[in-house]
Amino acid sequence: MSLPAAAAEVAADFRDALQDLRMNSRPEISNLTLIAKENTEYAEAISTELEKHIRSTRPEWKLPALYVLDSIVKNVGTPYTVYIGRNLYRTFMDGYLVMDQTTRKNMEGLLKTWKMPVPESMDPRPVFPTEVTQDIENALAKFRAAQQQVQRPQHALPPRPPSLNVAWKGTSTPPQNAPRYVAPNDPRARPAYPPTPQQGPSAHAPTPPPAYHQPQQQAPPMSSVDLADLKTEVTQLIGATQNIFAQNPTDAALRMKLSALLSLKQVLDTQTLPPQQLEAVRQQVRALAPPPAPTPTLAPSTPVYPPQHAMPPGYPPQFPPMSAPPNLAQLLPGFRPPMQPTPQPAPAPTPSALNLAELLKRVSSPAHTNAAPVPAPYQPPFQGLPPPISTPVPVVQAPPPAATPPVNLAALLAQFNKPGAAPSMPSTPTQSAPFPQLPPQATTTAPALGSAEWLLRALSSVPNGTPANGTPIASQPMARQPSAPVNLMEQIELTTVSMKKPRLHLVSRLYEAKPNICATCGRRFESTPEGKEKKARHMDWHFKVKDPDAAKRGVSRSWYIPEKEWIEYREVDETAPNQSNDPSSTTGATKLKKQTKDRYVSVPQDVTLQQVPCPICQEKFETQWNVEANDFVWMDALNVGGKVYHATCFEEYSKGAGIEMPGTPDSVLGKRKAELGTNGEGKKIRAY
Amino acid sequence: MISLPGLNLSSQPAQAQSVPAEAVTRTQDLAANTEYRFEVGFSRTLTVKLQSGTAELFGTELAPSTTYSFTGTNGAIFTWHGCKLDVGGDVESDYVAEETPMMSFANLHFALENLRDRSIASGSTEMGPRVLIVGPDNSGKTSLVKTLTAYAVKTDRQPMVVNLDPRQGMLSVPGSFSAAAFSSIVDMEEGWGSSSITGPSPVPVKMPLVYHYGLKDPEEGRTFKSLVTRMALAVTSRLEEDKPSKQAGFIIDSSGAISQGKNGVYDSIEHIVSEFSVNVLITLGSERLYSDLSRKFNARTTDPSESVSVLRLDKSGGCVARSEDYMRSLRHAQIKEYFFGRGDEPLAPSSQTADVADLHVFRIVEPDPSGSYTTVDEYGISVEKPLFEPVKVDERMQNQILAITTAGPKDSQDVIRDASVRGYIYVASVDEARRKVKLLSPLPGGTLDTALVVGSWPEPVEGLVG
Ligand SMILES: Nc1ncnc2c1ncn2[C@@H]1O[C@H](COP(=O)(O)OP(=O)(O)O)[C@@H](O)[C@H]1O
Ligand SMILES: [Mg+2]
Ligand SMILES: [Zn+2]
Ligand SMILES: [Zn+2]
Repeated sequence: MSLPAAAAEVAADFRDALQDLRMNSRPEISNLTLIAKENTEYAEAISTELEKHIRSTRPEWKLPALYVLDSIVKNVGTPYTVYIGRNLYRTFMDGYLVMDQTTRKNMEGLLKTWKMPVPESMDPRPVFPTEVTQDIENALAKFRAAQQQVQRPQHALPPRPPSLNVAWKGTSTPPQNAPRYVAPNDPRARPAYPPTPQQGPSAHAPTPPPAYHQPQQQAPPMSSVDLADLKTEVTQLIGATQNIFAQNPTDAALRMKLSALLSLKQVLDTQTLPPQQLEAVRQQVRALAPPPAPTPTLAPSTPVYPPQHAMPPGYPPQFPPMSAPPNLAQLLPGFRPPMQPTPQPAPAPTPSALNLAELLKRVSSPAHTNAAPVPAPYQPPFQGLPPPISTPVPVVQAPPPAATPPVNLAALLAQFNKPGAAPSMPSTPTQSAPFPQLPPQATTTAPALGSAEWLLRALSSVPNGTPANGTPIASQPMARQPSAPVNLMEQIELTTVSMKKPRLHLVSRLYEAKPNICATCGRRFESTPEGKEKKARHMDWHFKVKDPDAAKRGVSRSWYIPEKEWIEYREVDETAPNQSNDPSSTTGATKLKKQTKDRYVSVPQDVTLQQVPCPICQEKFETQWNVEANDFVWMDALNVGGKVYHATCFEEYSKGAGIEMPGTPDSVLGKRKAELGTNGEGKKIRAY
Repeated sequence: MISLPGLNLSSQPAQAQSVPAEAVTRTQDLAANTEYRFEVGFSRTLTVKLQSGTAELFGTELAPSTTYSFTGTNGAIFTWHGCKLDVGGDVESDYVAEETPMMSFANLHFALENLRDRSIASGSTEMGPRVLIVGPDNSGKTSLVKTLTAYAVKTDRQPMVVNLDPRQGMLSVPGSFSAAAFSSIVDMEEGWGSSSITGPSPVPVKMPLVYHYGLKDPEEGRTFKSLVTRMALAVTSRLEEDKPSKQAGFIIDSSGAISQGKNGVYDSIEHIVSEFSVNVLITLGSERLYSDLSRKFNARTTDPSESVSVLRLDKSGGCVARSEDYMRSLRHAQIKEYFFGRGDEPLAPSSQTADVADLHVFRIVEPDPSGSYTTVDEYGISVEKPLFEPVKVDERMQNQILAITTAGPKDSQDVIRDASVRGYIYVASVDEARRKVKLLSPLPGGTLDTALVVGSWPEPVEGLVG
C-alpha cells in the first residue's frame, strides 16, 4: 500500500472515531490518542483531520475534540506538537469565539497547561512553544478588553489577524452552516453569548449571522443528524411495537402498524425523501408511538392527534403547518417519572410544543451526561417548564417532576412503552383498545390522518427516490424486496417450511437496530445514550487490553475452572458498568470468603509504588493478569491502610499481633477509580 | 521467568504464523446475499478487510478497520447488504456463491429469539431454547452453531454452547467436550476464541467447562453417555442461577458419528435429547436422518412442554469435505494453539521435569477388535473390563497429551470418568533409564498429583516442541 493511500486511510479512521466523540468520554479520547500514538508516521494527516474537525463540528462538540488535541500533544508529543502548533492560534481562537462562557473557561484552562511542561515529564519545555501560546494569550487579552467595553455581544469581536476574521461568520466553516433546519436547542441558533433572560425568541434576531436570517420558503431540509434520529426513533418504535405485538398476535391494528413501520424503515433506509415528506413522516412516527398503558384518568376518546396548536409568538416555524407536533403530555400519558413527588409547578404555558425529538435530544444531549455545564438551551417559551424528562402530565394527578435526574433514555422509553402490567403473560389482554382513530376493520372509510393505514397509503405513494447517501449496494436488498407482507411479525414457526421463507426485513434487527459499530471488533451498539455508554466502556476495554507490554510479560494459558466454580461463574461483560470494581460482585456470594493466598490487589499505576516490596518479607509481588478483576493484579496481596502486604504474610503477622484480618479486599483499583472522579477534567485521561 | 531446561521452546512461537508483511490486495465485490468462500491450507494465509458495506463470517460481523487473516481455515464471508472486500494473501481455492442457506439460518435465529423472549416474559421460569444440531460429518453443523451463537450475541443474548464432538475441540483440544457461555464476540480467526489466559486478550476470553473423552468416536466409548449426563447436569445447574444464559438457552454441537444410526435407532441423539431436555432438533443435510428423527420425536408429543421440534435445514454448498489429512492438521493446530496461542498473540508454556513415579496416569480402556469390553478373569469367568487402567509413563506415551482431571489418583473409576479437566500437559520426552519425563505445561506451577487421563484420541502430536 502506498504511503499517501495509507495516510488517507488512517486519517479516515481517525476522522470516523472523532465523529463519534460528543462528550468528554475518557475511553474515546484515550482511543483516539492511541490511534495517534500508533500512527505517528501519519501525524500530519491526523493533525489536519483533528483541526478540521474542531473547526467544523458543532460548538458543543468542540471541547471534547480539544481534549483529544490536548491528550495527544501531552501523551504523544512530537511530531503532533509541531503540526498542531502551526495552526493552533486559528484552531483555538475559532473555537473560542463560538463557545459559551463556561467552555471558554475550560479552554483557558487548557491553554494554561500548554504553557507548562507535561506534568511528570522529564522534558522541561512547555507543551507548545511559547510563541504559539503567546499569540493566543494576546488575542484573548484583547478580546476580554473588548468584551468589557461593549455590551452587545455581537459587537464584541476582538481584533483578529486577517486570516481569522472570516471564521466565525461561517465562511470558513463547512457548508453545514448553510441554511438548514435549526433545532430550537441548537446552540448555533443563538448568539455567541448565552441569552439573557429578557431575550425572547424574537429578540434573538438583532444581528444574527446572515444564514439564519434568510427567508425560507420551503421547510428546511432535515440534517443527516436529524434523519438519523428519526431512523432511531423508528427502529425503537418497531422494537417496542414488536414486543406489544408479541403479546397480542391477533391484534390487526397492531399488525398493520408494525408493517407500516417496517415499510417506513425500508423507505428511510433506501430512499431520499424530500424534506417536507421527512417532516411529515416524523409527525406520523410520533403519532404512532405505542399506545400508552391505559390509565384511569385518560379519557378513552382522547385523540392522539391534537388540533393544531398555535405556535408561541416568535417561535421559529419549523414544521409545515399541516400538522402540529403531538403533545408530549399526550404521548406520554402513562409515563410517570420514577422519582418521588415534589410540589408541582404551575402548568407550563405551552407544553404541547415539546415533541419527542426534543425530548430525545435533550435526554441524550451532552449537557446531561457531561460534567462541563453547558448553558441552558435556547428555550425561552418553556421557561416555566422543568426539564423535559419530568414534564408534568397535566391529566394525571400530582406527577412528580423530580430534580434533574439524568434519566437514561432507554429507561424512559421503556416506561413509555410499557405494555400494561409488567411481565405480562402472553394471555394478558393488553392494549388493542387505545388506538382510537383506527376502527377495527374500517377498510371502507378513509383512514384517519396519522393512522397506520394512512401511513401505509402515504408510503405507497412515495415515488422511488434516489438511493440513500450510503453505499448504493448497501441499500439494494431492502429496496429489492417486495413491500413488507402484513403477517411479518407472526411468530416464526419452528418448522422446516417456515425456515425457508425469505424474511430479509428481519435482518435489520442484526444491523440497523444497532447502528453504532466498533471499528475494531465489529460489535454493535444502539444509538441510545445507554448504547453510547456501553460503547464507551467497550472502547475503554479495548484500550486496556491493548497494553503493549502485555506480550513481554509472558502470558500463558490459564487452567480451566473446575466444575463447581464454572457453575457459579458469571460472564463478565466489558460493557457493563463497574465490572472490575468489586471482585466479589461477579463471583457470587459463595466466593466472598477468599482464600488468603487468593486475595489480590490491582497493580498500582504509580511506577515507584510498583517497586515497593511487601513490608513484612521485603519481597516483591507477583504480577498476574486477573480475569475477574480484568486488570493486572498482585496475587496474595492485601491493602491495609494504603500499604500493600502479602496476604499470607499479613495473616501470619495479624495472628501474632492479635489483630483482625481485613474482611473485604481493599482493592487498589477501587481506590484508583475513586481518585479518578476527583481529578480535573483535563487530567483524567492521564491516569491510564 | 519461564524455565526451559533442555527444551528449545523459543523457536516455537516464532514459526507459528507469518502474516505476509505487505501483501498485494485485490478488491472483491460481493452483491447482497452472496458469499465469498475460501479454503486456506495450513501453510497459507488469506487476509480480508472490509472496504465498504457489511459482511459476516459465520454470523460474526467483520469490523470495518480490522484486517483479518486466516490460516488452516475454510469459510465464507457472507453479506446481507452487499460489500467490497480487500482480499490478500493466498488460498487453495476461492469463489463467490450466490446460493446460500443463510436466510434459513437467520430464520432459525429469529425463531429462537421468539423462544428467548418467551423465557423473559415468563420471568425466567421457562428456559430459553435448547437446541441440538445433528448431521453427518462436514454437513456444516459447527458452522451453523457458530452462526446462531454470533447472532444471539449480537442480539445481546448470552447463549451457552456445548460441544460434544471429539473430532474438533471448542475452546479446547480435540477429544474434549466443553461448554461455555458466550457473552462476547465469537473470534473470527481462531474459530471460537480463546479460553482464559494470564494476560489481557484483545478478544474477550471465554470460560469453558471441559471434560475429557479421549476417543475418536462417541459410539465406541463407554464414557460418552455418562459424560453427556454429567455435562447436562452442570449446564442445567448453571442455568438455574445464570439468568441471562437461561433465557438464551443453549446450542449443542455434535459429532457426525451419532447421526449414522443403527437400523434407524439413534441412541446417542436420544440420550442427549433427554439429558439436556432438547426442544429444538436441527438436522442438517440428510433427508433420511430428518425423516427418522421427526418420526421418532413427533410420535412422542403428548405433553406439549416436552415436545421436540425437528427441523431440517439444507446443507450449505460451501461445506468442505475435509480429508483425514486435513483433520489431522486441524487437530495438531488446535493442540499447538492450546499451549502456544496464535501467531500474533503467542502464549508462553512452561516446561517441567517430573519423576515417572509421581504421575498417576489412567489409560482409557478400549474395546478389543471385536468391539467387546469383556475379558476372562483368572477363574475363567467373563467380566467387563474397567473403564481405566493405571499405567506408568513410558516411551510409547511420548507426544501424547494427558488430561489433568480434578479427581484424585485414589478416586473410583466413576469419579475419574466424571471429573472435569483443569488443563492438558504434553509429554515431550521420556527418559526410561532415568525414570524422568519432560512435560510441557500451559503455565508454570500447578500440581500434577491428580489423576491424569490419556486416551488414543487425539493421537500423538510430533514436533510440538524442540
Ligand atoms: N458456506 C461455507 N463456505 C465455505 N466453507 C464452509 C461453509 N460452511 C462450512 N464450511 C466449511 O466446511 C467444513 C465443514 O463444516 P463444519 O461446519 O465444520 O461441519 P461439521 O461440523 O458438520 O463437520 C468446515 O471447514 C467449514 O469451515
Ligand atoms: Mg463440527
Ligand atoms: Zn470493539
Ligand atoms: Zn511478604
